[in-house]
Amino acid sequence: MIPRTIRVVAVATTFGLGLLAAGCSSNSGGSQSASGNGTPTGTITVWARDAEKDFMGNLVKQYNSSHQVQAQLTIIPSANFVQKLGTAAAAGNGPDVSSLDLVFAPYFASTGVLEDITSTYDSLSYKDQFVPGHVAQSTWQGKIYALPFTGDASVLFYNKDLFKKAGLDPNKPPTTWAEIRSDAKKITALGKGTYGFTFAGACGGCNVFEFTPYIWASGGSVLSDDGKKATLDSSQVTDALQFYRDMWTDGSMPSAAETDSGNQQIPLFTTGKVGMTALGAFAIPSFDAAKMNYAATPLPGKDGGTASFAGGDVITVINGTKNPAGAADFVKWATDTQAQTWLAKNGSAPIRKDLLESVYAKQGQPYAEVAKGLEVGKVPFSVVENAIFNDNNGPWVKMIHDSVFTGNIQAAQSTGQQAAQKLIDQAS
Amino acid sequence: MSTSTASLNQKPLARGIRSTRGTGLSTQRKILGALFALPTVVMIATFFLVPLGMTFWMSFNRWPLLGKHKWIGLENYSTALSDSNFLQALKFTLEYTVIITPILLVFGFGLAVLVRRGDRPARFFQSVYFMPVAIGLASASFLWLFMTQSQIGPLWDLMRRIGLISATSNLFAGHWSSLMVVNAMVTWKVVGLQMLLLLSGLQSIPDEVSEAARVDGASGWQRLWYITVPLLRPTLALVLVFSVAGSLLAFDQFYIMTSGGPSNSTITAVYAIYRNSFIQFKLGYGAALSVLLMVILAIVSAIQMLLLRNTDHT
Repeated sequence: MIPRTIRVVAVATTFGLGLLAAGCSSNSGGSQSASGNGTPTGTITVWARDAEKDFMGNLVKQYNSSHQVQAQLTIIPSANFVQKLGTAAAAGNGPDVSSLDLVFAPYFASTGVLEDITSTYDSLSYKDQFVPGHVAQSTWQGKIYALPFTGDASVLFYNKDLFKKAGLDPNKPPTTWAEIRSDAKKITALGKGTYGFTFAGACGGCNVFEFTPYIWASGGSVLSDDGKKATLDSSQVTDALQFYRDMWTDGSMPSAAETDSGNQQIPLFTTGKVGMTALGAFAIPSFDAAKMNYAATPLPGKDGGTASFAGGDVITVINGTKNPAGAADFVKWATDTQAQTWLAKNGSAPIRKDLLESVYAKQGQPYAEVAKGLEVGKVPFSVVENAIFNDNNGPWVKMIHDSVFTGNIQAAQSTGQQAAQKLIDQAS
Repeated sequence: MSTSTASLNQKPLARGIRSTRGTGLSTQRKILGALFALPTVVMIATFFLVPLGMTFWMSFNRWPLLGKHKWIGLENYSTALSDSNFLQALKFTLEYTVIITPILLVFGFGLAVLVRRGDRPARFFQSVYFMPVAIGLASASFLWLFMTQSQIGPLWDLMRRIGLISATSNLFAGHWSSLMVVNAMVTWKVVGLQMLLLLSGLQSIPDEVSEAARVDGASGWQRLWYITVPLLRPTLALVLVFSVAGSLLAFDQFYIMTSGGPSNSTITAVYAIYRNSFIQFKLGYGAALSVLLMVILAIVSAIQMLLLRNTDHT
């Protein structure tokens, strides 16, 4: 989940639970199959989150004007997208196609909601160009259940003006944790409410996006590759937590970091009060609008190396669709050169290496860094990714929060490890 | 703070039915009466009884969002009783209820006394105090979240200027300070309703009673304590049950303002139910927690009713 997805309001009254779970959407799926000559026809329904409203509407229009299959778009509020899709699919009245935050792909694939589209995937001439993070998330037990759709990746943004003022070389961004820490100290020393670094200390999704890369780049992990074992108590996690803790005790972070649930990083950076913060391409328009003099650089490991979190959406065919040919046609089209080039020029990183390099990276320095990050970006693979990492009250953010702001790293890690492992065990 | 108005309507309804007893209605009229009641019965069954029954049924199952559910008897309930997260949430909910209820009662009563005179200025202030009640709880939470945000909030800035907090203070970083911000918001938001209810109670006390006491030489405080409060008991009971039930079901204000923080210390019972059901997708377990909370709410309300029952009612 990209941190821009700030949860707004979800009102669940106690006794309404049964009602909520029982009767949700009644959006019946699309209809009818392929015509005689093999060209898909009929209609399909497509679901997407409200965060994708602008570009999805346009993409669907483009598709409809050039295809026999007619797609109908429904926008679902991000806050309850997963519940809606889950209950609708379980009741047999889900959409034919759905865009889906890639962190949820393993969960929906493992529960049989998604159609196996391995053959569609294999038929794509550009399948080797797909970024690896999205493909890994789309794979369940050797089969492909989704195609990559939209991309983003975490990078470290830094304010070049503040670097200059603090006597640092604006063309030499930090490449190790020690350099980030010392640069942050120098920027903080400028005074007048200036801070070297900030992060969203109360936001799970932000930190899986922005904090795990430090661990990965140092050779560590937060989960085993198969998602069965949590590794939150590993030494690389300890080091990364200590790194943030040190910057907090140095006074290099504003007090707002402690309770930031994801909506203060961008304003703090655009007002020129903060020297460095890790974010994704979604922040670039805000920085440009504020006429910032800034640049992006990869998130480093402890003593070098780099890593990135691959964010964005995958696009899926929902199991039970009445128009599988039409649905497959749409998801294929959504990854082709026309659609992805349009996306690249309209705010979302494409999920193909060829287009990242030939189109997206050409739009400027920060875009080029995001493109590099996305090409190697990773995602913790788990059917309970949301409960462990994205939940703002989950074990991941509690571990980070307690470590950085109270300093008892060992206790926080062991509590986090146990809670995360429990969530994994309960789900299996 | 979700409270049902159904309970309010039940009394007059019951009385109405009772009064028709023994008046020898014809069968036709009885059928007609039943037909008139039918829409309400259907509504209550559809929107109250069926979901309630469904919740009970789900609570005896392992019920994931996706996939098959499985009957597990009382396992969800036994898990709940040793679930430290839920018990912590219950403890916090009680803590919040115990703090906010007297605040609301005292301020509500105070305002009711202030606007009691009923002249033009009093009526003006009565409207002013009531105004926040008309705002949605979620909107009010967002408003206060912004106003109290460190560095950018006007209320935060005011507190810093008068020296209550320092320039680096973050009100949501501490358990007590976050709770106090939420309490302030809730008081501002709902005290007007409490005031209105208590005002109607106050106005129903005949002036003569107080007058007589004054003639007998009772002081202001004595009249308040021995005359007003006892006669206000039914209204007080209503206000108390309202505010306690609302507080025990608190969710929005904490979800929006504190996000359960710092470090999950302001997660209420409903918040915990929400997380289990819709983040961890354990719908059966969430249903069991809902049933437990309902039982607690029923017990607490029953105790309040018993304690405040008008025993000397004539």
